[in-house]
Amino acid sequence: MARYGMALDYKNCINCKACEVACKEENGVELGAEKHRIWVGGNNPEGQWPLLDIASAAFLPSQCQQCDEAPCEEVCPTHATYYDENGVVRVDADKCILCSYCMNACPYDARYVDDRTMTVDKCTFCSDTRLARGETTTACQNTCPTKVRTFGDLDDPNSEISELLRTREHFSLKSHLGTNPKLFYLT
Amino acid sequence: MNFIKKIIPMKDFTLRSLMQFEKTPLNMLMFVITIALLVAFGWGVVEYLVHSHHAYNITRQHPWGLLIAMYIFFVVSSTGLCIVGSLGDVFGFKDYMAMSKRAILGSIVTILAGFAVIAFEIGHPVRMLIYNVLSPGLTSAIWWMGTLYGIYLTFMIIEFIFLMRNDMKNARIFGLTGLLVGLAAHSNLGGVFGFLNARIISNGVFYPTYFILTAFITGIYLTYLMYGFRYKMQIPDDIKKGLLGLAKIQALLLGILMFFETWKLMTAVYGGMPGRADTAEHIFHSAGFLYGEVLCGMVIPFVVMLATKWQSIKLYVFTSFIGMIGIFFMRYDLVHDTQVKPLQMMKITEYQLPPTWIEYFPSAAEIAIGFGAIGIFFMLYYFGQKMFELDATEH
Amino acid sequence: MKVEISRRRFLQGSVAMSIVGASAVSATNIFASEHDSKKHVVGIPDTITTKTSTGKAEEVPFLCAICVNKCAGFARVEDGIITKLDPNPYFPKSRNMLCARGNAGIQTLYDPDRLKYPLVRIGERGDGKYKRVSWEEAYNAILNGTDKFKGILQILDEEKDNRSTIGYCNGEGLSKEGFEVLMGEKIGTPNYVDEISICLETVLGGFFSTWGTYGEADLNNADYLVIAGANRAEAIITPDTLDLFKRSKGRGLKTIVLDPRFTNTAIKADRWLAVNPGTDLAFVLAMTYVVFKEELYNKEFAKKHMEGIEEYKQHILSHNYTPEWAEKLTNISAKNIYKTAREFMAARSPIYYQGRRSVFSNNDFQLRRAMAIFQGLSGNMDKKGGIIYGEKLPLPKEDINAPIYGQALSRFDGKGIAIPSQKTGSWIQFRNMILEGTTPYPVRAMFMRKHNPMAGVPNTKKTEAFLKKMDLNVMIDILPSDTTMFCDVILPEASYLERTSPVASYGALEPAIVLRKAAVKPLYETKVPEQIYKELAEKLSKPLWENTLKYDEDVQDDTEGMSKKELAEYYKENGYDLAEPWEKSVTEQNEEKIVSTYGEKAWEILNERGVYYPHIEEYHKQININESEYYPENKKKYTTQGDKLKVKCNLTNLTKKGVDAMPTWSDDMQFKVPEGQFRLVTGRHAQFTQSGTTNNLMLRDLVPTNYLWINSRIAEEKNIAFGDTVEVKSSVGEVTIKAYPTEKIAPNQIFMLHGFGGSSAEMEIAHGNGANDAIIIEDKIEPVYGAAVMHDTNVEVRKV
Repeated sequence: MARYGMALDYKNCINCKACEVACKEENGVELGAEKHRIWVGGNNPEGQWPLLDIASAAFLPSQCQQCDEAPCEEVCPTHATYYDENGVVRVDADKCILCSYCMNACPYDARYVDDRTMTVDKCTFCSDTRLARGETTTACQNTCPTKVRTFGDLDDPNSEISELLRTREHFSLKSHLGTNPKLFYLT
Repeated sequence: MNFIKKIIPMKDFTLRSLMQFEKTPLNMLMFVITIALLVAFGWGVVEYLVHSHHAYNITRQHPWGLLIAMYIFFVVSSTGLCIVGSLGDVFGFKDYMAMSKRAILGSIVTILAGFAVIAFEIGHPVRMLIYNVLSPGLTSAIWWMGTLYGIYLTFMIIEFIFLMRNDMKNARIFGLTGLLVGLAAHSNLGGVFGFLNARIISNGVFYPTYFILTAFITGIYLTYLMYGFRYKMQIPDDIKKGLLGLAKIQALLLGILMFFETWKLMTAVYGGMPGRADTAEHIFHSAGFLYGEVLCGMVIPFVVMLATKWQSIKLYVFTSFIGMIGIFFMRYDLVHDTQVKPLQMMKITEYQLPPTWIEYFPSAAEIAIGFGAIGIFFMLYYFGQKMFELDATEH
Repeated sequence: MKVEISRRRFLQGSVAMSIVGASAVSATNIFASEHDSKKHVVGIPDTITTKTSTGKAEEVPFLCAICVNKCAGFARVEDGIITKLDPNPYFPKSRNMLCARGNAGIQTLYDPDRLKYPLVRIGERGDGKYKRVSWEEAYNAILNGTDKFKGILQILDEEKDNRSTIGYCNGEGLSKEGFEVLMGEKIGTPNYVDEISICLETVLGGFFSTWGTYGEADLNNADYLVIAGANRAEAIITPDTLDLFKRSKGRGLKTIVLDPRFTNTAIKADRWLAVNPGTDLAFVLAMTYVVFKEELYNKEFAKKHMEGIEEYKQHILSHNYTPEWAEKLTNISAKNIYKTAREFMAARSPIYYQGRRSVFSNNDFQLRRAMAIFQGLSGNMDKKGGIIYGEKLPLPKEDINAPIYGQALSRFDGKGIAIPSQKTGSWIQFRNMILEGTTPYPVRAMFMRKHNPMAGVPNTKKTEAFLKKMDLNVMIDILPSDTTMFCDVILPEASYLERTSPVASYGALEPAIVLRKAAVKPLYETKVPEQIYKELAEKLSKPLWENTLKYDEDVQDDTEGMSKKELAEYYKENGYDLAEPWEKSVTEQNEEKIVSTYGEKAWEILNERGVYYPHIEEYHKQININESEYYPENKKKYTTQGDKLKVKCNLTNLTKKGVDAMPTWSDDMQFKVPEGQFRLVTGRHAQFTQSGTTNNLMLRDLVPTNYLWINSRIAEEKNIAFGDTVEVKSSVGEVTIKAYPTEKIAPNQIFMLHGFGGSSAEMEIAHGNGANDAIIIEDKIEPVYGAAVMHDTNVEVRKV
């Protein structure tokens, strides 16, 4: 029993997409432009060459925000989407009827259809791979060149993530929607 | 057969007589159209079975497409016909009494057509039936909508049986219950969209109420079309009175709808709130909205009814056809517009354009199944007419 | 409904199949994967990605080779299949990370298009018709030829044992040296070219001649960084990339990026200066001017360590390299030049980053010299936060018993080059002279390994003609590259995940020895390179020796009257036994080297962790969930030079060779683009190395093809929209490519990612995908080493 969360030192991100590939290889995610559990967002810089706005082009690594109040879980007609014992938002592929309501409800575009099972899939925090083997990191965190991510138990006051969140300012994405994400962006 | 007839009175028919109809040009046209639609539906289903969801143009960003729109189109029609049917047998408005049977049959066959569509939209319909019961998601509007529509269909069938038996007391009881369940189901369908916090253009009270309002409007359009076809425009007097009354109601409803839409758009655009105002403006500038929803669905029927002072039934039948095109766009647009604004506005690869409005156009398979289901509606309605006496008014 | 998408089906479903038509029929069957028809092949996963299991797995230490950087990792092996590659936390150089490409290495291992069996050409060069043969047959074909091509024995016979008639080229990697030993030392040809002269030759040369080292930038402790033309966010070098971006953006390391393009590195900068291509030298000279003029430099350090400082000062000031002068040349305002120079010298630990990369301009050698001297002026050398000399962990060198061939002639490609490299030569000069027939003797065979000059060496047309001119082309590689398709004998090599490689020593500040172990057995009939060297050497050794005996008068004199036994001894003792360096397996050699230098325990640790350095068990500490400390602060090799340290400002001996003794600007270095044309610049993305990764399924997902960056205002004028096909034409060739209008590039420049546009039809994904920049880059060389100049080509662009 834990409450897993992730802190992202997002300013470290160089948009190399190591996380995306590590995630796909670890979790056997399908290839294809739409089939990603994790991604890095970027923007075209504002302004004209050579007076470009550096700040406007900053990178934002993202994935399922592992909401405590997950809209996707709320709208699922069959409880296929559920919180596991560690607070991780998971999908039970056997119960998923592929109504796609969760894909519409998720404010973060974090869900996609796995064509092999024809069910909705998403980031699991590597619960059924790495964590199930007793490892303490997710694939995306472990592989990251600039060490953007810190994964850990939010309920454990001694965990690194708890320490980080106590000491560093942070924000969440679309927090006004009341989703209470467990991904925290460190500033 | 006799056993069934004991439960529900039926006309005398044979398989052969079911297949026979007067070969008028209009009937032949309807026959050809129905067969064509059924063939399309069958082809679409085969495409789906072979390619599963790859046969559809739905994407990660636009997971709901034409089939959801057509499902809504049918169930809204069903609710609308249920409301029209209820005017007579539930609420006791005499002028509408004669319409109840036909309307309730219509409400049953439209929802069956809707279910035929959704069966090929939902990825795992059988699993749905199982886990809807074993693992009900009570916070899910889809669960409530689906469950209530199931109950609603049951009540509609029972009501129809009592209507056929001319047991108006029981018909009223089940009609009322069915209506209430139907309204609950239908507003829940609006809630499916209204509950989406992430989609601010759809979020809120508008869609649940709008669905009931437009259902009533749809019901009236369909009633006109059914009677127009039934009597080849030679409407008997007992029906005429009701239909003329419906025109007045329709004009009123359309007035209310236009009022609603106007304020919805105004409040959405006002203040320029990102994600809502820009989306509303985008919708406002789309052809589907302007020509489909506003012109066909609202303005033309409203103006025609106003201009003819509620007296020109023939014209209303044609107008209703235009109105139904408008209703289709309302369903299609509401599904599309809900998803038109991307939730992820950043580029995720270097070589792409920045996300703007999400584009969607249905695939051939989606069009085949979605519109092909109209053939199912025609077919069921045709058999319904053949098997049941829908015009008997004496009681 | 469970639908497993197989590798092959995926390809069929999503990639336009390029192999059609009769000409490819015979080849397709040979190249095609075995699991076309069969459902499951032992040792090859059924699906493209494989979810890792919770069951038992082996973790095998490996060293990544998907680019040249060398990151350490552990391969997770389940049931003989690699399901995941994870970073190795023990290696100080790669600091517990694997990039996108590193993770996608699995896809290269299991690439369905891999070379699987030895092949011998049966059609014409380039038409892709090959016959699958046994290894023995392939070696025989190299020795004796077939009816389609001559063997090496006949060629050497015709050339009277002039070993120099054989050319060879090689790609970077741990098995590179072995190939050089085989071809250069044992078979005895000097005619070697490799990636150095199409990559960073002037970079290394400039820094070595000035500092005596290339050095390591201690970005963990620096506080000011000027990084010019080195795109560390996209061309990942460890530990630089890792250290830099944890501290950029107002977190301790102020970062000034110079790049004509707005790269991902620029996005992480405090200041981005859009320098004109090829004018960095003017920028550095102007900064140096400011520093001398305002006396901002570290005088104590300069006095003690900088040779020729006074002459250099005089040189800079007298040439009047003012920021105002540089502004017009560089597109960087004088204000920014003053500011950067002053900030740099005021900083505690400033670094002008050396920036390993290809040679972009003609003046690159002098640019590196100017940068190195500028860094010296700060005095931030051989100390914490500065340029580190450090120490390497020594590994014993093997003694190679190299035979002497009297008939072999010396190499020829140094003509007109100031300081030609005797070892690695100049690719362009070498190729062009052979093509033009201006060599003193014919070069008739090319032995190639892990090298794709068709995509790497500017002017592909010439490379193709060069390959066609050869009597014999041999390739050792893992994929059927564009170059491979012009070869006569193809030997399939085991990829880096299937082989144990010679141990290597890396790092200077935190040095370590690293080991690559084979995670799985070589797939198909592939072999590890050292085994190929050995077997090829065994096959060639005796017949070539006979040829030497036939023509080499020195050997004839030496061996005159010798008995058979004496002759055999002579053959052995004088190194004519070509296979002798590979008598022991790689693992045995590794063990010997480590145990003899560091002891048994070191070998044990190295095998388990993949990394060893003295006291690793004591020193290595995990400091948080992501990071480790490798050496205690006081054991890091920050300062190792003391008084030895020299920064050479004035290299007078260069003058004799026609090279400026001190960095000097000349007017022909100006950035000039004729009206209506564009300067072509190339570069990298982090998801893609070179032509070698274009066929990687996973990476293709991330970068599907290369695009032409063109300024969006210019694109609008030319009515070019995103995705439009455009033709890019230079004086040497033309390519078509999709357009990407963007403000991230100047109106008179264009950019395309290097390495795409493969012509080999046997690489399904790479084939015809995007544009090959080598087709249009003009084959120019810089004067000092004869290295290829990559950013000196003007092109025309038109919509098609």
